[in-house]
Amino acid sequence: MKIATEAVTAENRRIELLRRIADEGGAIAPHPDPQTKHGYEYRGLTEGAERDLQFLTEREYLDARFFDRVSLCPKCQSHHLNVREICPGCRRAQLATEVLLHHFRCGYTGRVSEFASNHSGEGGYTCPKCNRQMRHLGTEYDRFGRTSVCRQCGLSCEDLPVEAVCLACGTRTLADNLTSIDLFAYAITALGRATIRNGALFESDDQMLFVGGLRIYRRRVMIEFLRQEMRRLARFKIGFSLLMEECLGSAADDDHQEHCLSRLCECLRDTDLIGQLNDTLYAVILPQTTLKEAEALRQRIWARLGPQPPLTLTAVEVKEPIEIDQILARGNTRSAPD
Amino acid sequence: MTGFFQYFLGVLDPSAIFGFWRALPELMASAYIPWWLLGVLPVARWFLPDMVCWLVYLVEPAVIRPPLRVHARQAEPLVSVVIAGRNEAASIREAIRASLLCGYRNIEVIFVDDCSDDDTIAIARGAARSLLPHTTERIRIFSSPRRNGKASALNIGIRMARGEFIAIIDGDSAIQYGAMHHWLLPFTDPRVGAVAANLRVRNSTASLVTRLQECEYAFQVTMARLAAARLGLLTIIPGAGGLFRAEILRRLGGYDTGLGDDTDLTIKLRKQGWKLGFSVDAIVWTDVPATLRRLCRQRKRWERNMVKIRLSKHRDMLALGRYGVGNAVVMLDLLIMRITFPWVAAVGLLAFALMDGPLSAPALLIDIYWIYLVWLFVKALISRDIAFTPQPHYFLLLLVYPFYKLGLRAAVMSAELAELLRIGAKHPYVPDHVWQETPWW
Repeated sequence: MKIATEAVTAENRRIELLRRIADEGGAIAPHPDPQTKHGYEYRGLTEGAERDLQFLTEREYLDARFFDRVSLCPKCQSHHLNVREICPGCRRAQLATEVLLHHFRCGYTGRVSEFASNHSGEGGYTCPKCNRQMRHLGTEYDRFGRTSVCRQCGLSCEDLPVEAVCLACGTRTLADNLTSIDLFAYAITALGRATIRNGALFESDDQMLFVGGLRIYRRRVMIEFLRQEMRRLARFKIGFSLLMEECLGSAADDDHQEHCLSRLCECLRDTDLIGQLNDTLYAVILPQTTLKEAEALRQRIWARLGPQPPLTLTAVEVKEPIEIDQILARGNTRSAPD
Repeated sequence: MTGFFQYFLGVLDPSAIFGFWRALPELMASAYIPWWLLGVLPVARWFLPDMVCWLVYLVEPAVIRPPLRVHARQAEPLVSVVIAGRNEAASIREAIRASLLCGYRNIEVIFVDDCSDDDTIAIARGAARSLLPHTTERIRIFSSPRRNGKASALNIGIRMARGEFIAIIDGDSAIQYGAMHHWLLPFTDPRVGAVAANLRVRNSTASLVTRLQECEYAFQVTMARLAAARLGLLTIIPGAGGLFRAEILRRLGGYDTGLGDDTDLTIKLRKQGWKLGFSVDAIVWTDVPATLRRLCRQRKRWERNMVKIRLSKHRDMLALGRYGVGNAVVMLDLLIMRITFPWVAAVGLLAFALMDGPLSAPALLIDIYWIYLVWLFVKALISRDIAFTPQPHYFLLLLVYPFYKLGLRAAVMSAELAELLRIGAKHPYVPDHVWQETPWW
């Protein structure tokens, strides 16, 4: 059995991992488990699968979404930590919350216990400094937030340091100095599904550039192209336009999606670059193209796609250098097509 | 018109003073009351103490500037520096940095933000993190959820302080490196309750107004307070630089709300019989108003506070002798020299000048100008010798200093009048909800 496991190549192992994720419904997320090292586990996956998940995510077979952050003891990497606020003076955790009152008339500020409560039925307090009654909160006196006071050394403080004690090894560490790791939920991408069908990873030069089976650039390539256009715009003031295309419906309509994309590609010029930004979002870079020209192209593609195509198509002109994220955000908020 | 120009050109003629010197022996021998009241008395009040201090300093410097004897193993009492401020984003970092790194080891800094509109609190917290990344007990920051005024913010700081001594400084002030040891020195006398720092102008190069204030601080802060403290007549422990025994501050319940909190606290200390000290070498650098408008506003506020606190709130001090000889002298000085004399002098000079028509007596004004100037130069030399301020290249500014003082005097006199008549007493320094509750003194 051991020999058989060792015989499995890294590629086969990764494809198997993709298949398992596909069997789980196309996505996996960590589940809490206090017995494990980091407090979470990916059910159904073997130990050490994290490295393969990372490998597949880097190559866009999987889409990683932040799930949670786990703090660990920097010494033993245990997640069994007792986290609490401590006194910055004596480093002990015997703290109490204290409310201060402030008398407007004389300015006296002190603990509630320092102000004698009025027991004559009228409520309120009596100020220890000027001996006047304080009946109305907000007009005669006020509460000064909440501060913490150390029962050991008497230090009052508002911003208490947070310290974690490792229950496994006893190490005391300030919260800022804890080791932390990010956990992700993974979803299989169109490329991942294509890999399962293909039975091999798309790792040749060509496959590194293009989404499997199509002349559509991968996300990281596309973002690099966008950056390059931004640089050109910043230096030579040459603007460009973008066509943002989002496929509607489920990702399972791969055939129809492919059909639409191939029609779209037929309408593009040699200099236009089309790429995938996520599972359903595609962008076309139209270099040195005004919004008017881009809009004409959009109309032409729209006519070519036939009645009620399952996608939205928006033209955007970029005349000033902006962040790539803003472009992506524009794509995500575009309006419905005409 | 020609006469008008001649009048002003006459001011430039220093030979005018020779007439005065020639008449001086005769005046001194006379019983001419206006001369004694308007000539001799102010000189005795504002010049003689400086001269005496200087002579003492020349003979026995340790009397004026006690030498510091710090031993490596000497126990240093915990000093809590309390800073209260609102919208001090530009200067709070430096105030915290200078306090923590002033060369005194056993120190903690407490900053209370009085509900700032800007990012003061974030800057203060950032400064704390960058200066002391490993421990936070030496700096604690509190933010008031509602704006309650400086006095209330200071009271919060005092409430949180753990030190045996509490230093109060402004958000736009900075303690000079090494100053804390000097600041603590007068407390070796157990009768001393508080010690005023020597305030120096940090932004003196910002404008002509700030340069003139450096000269003014040298005369009226450094030298005047030095002499007053030696005579037991110090009347202010400034809010920008005061060191107190913590138990006294707590026993008094901290500062009172309303304007003039530092004057009020000082008077309370005096009434309780505490000695007040001043240390030339406890230097605290502070920013002063850089424009004439803001300076006038500040001085008017100070003057109104002085009148309100000392003549209304603590009017029982007027019962001379009730609080001791020192306090009686302080009150007489206030009434005669600070309030009555400027008014009498102003009215007298105006009447004299107008006696034979407008501006008919230029010689008198020119004489006063030159006499004042000579007096200023001597004061500046004394101050420079003892306290190293003002800077020598500011001496030329003394030529315009009389006009600066004249303008300020006019502004504060109007403020005195307004306070006595209780016109426009409300000041935006105190929030409305606190002002409504503050007693009307």
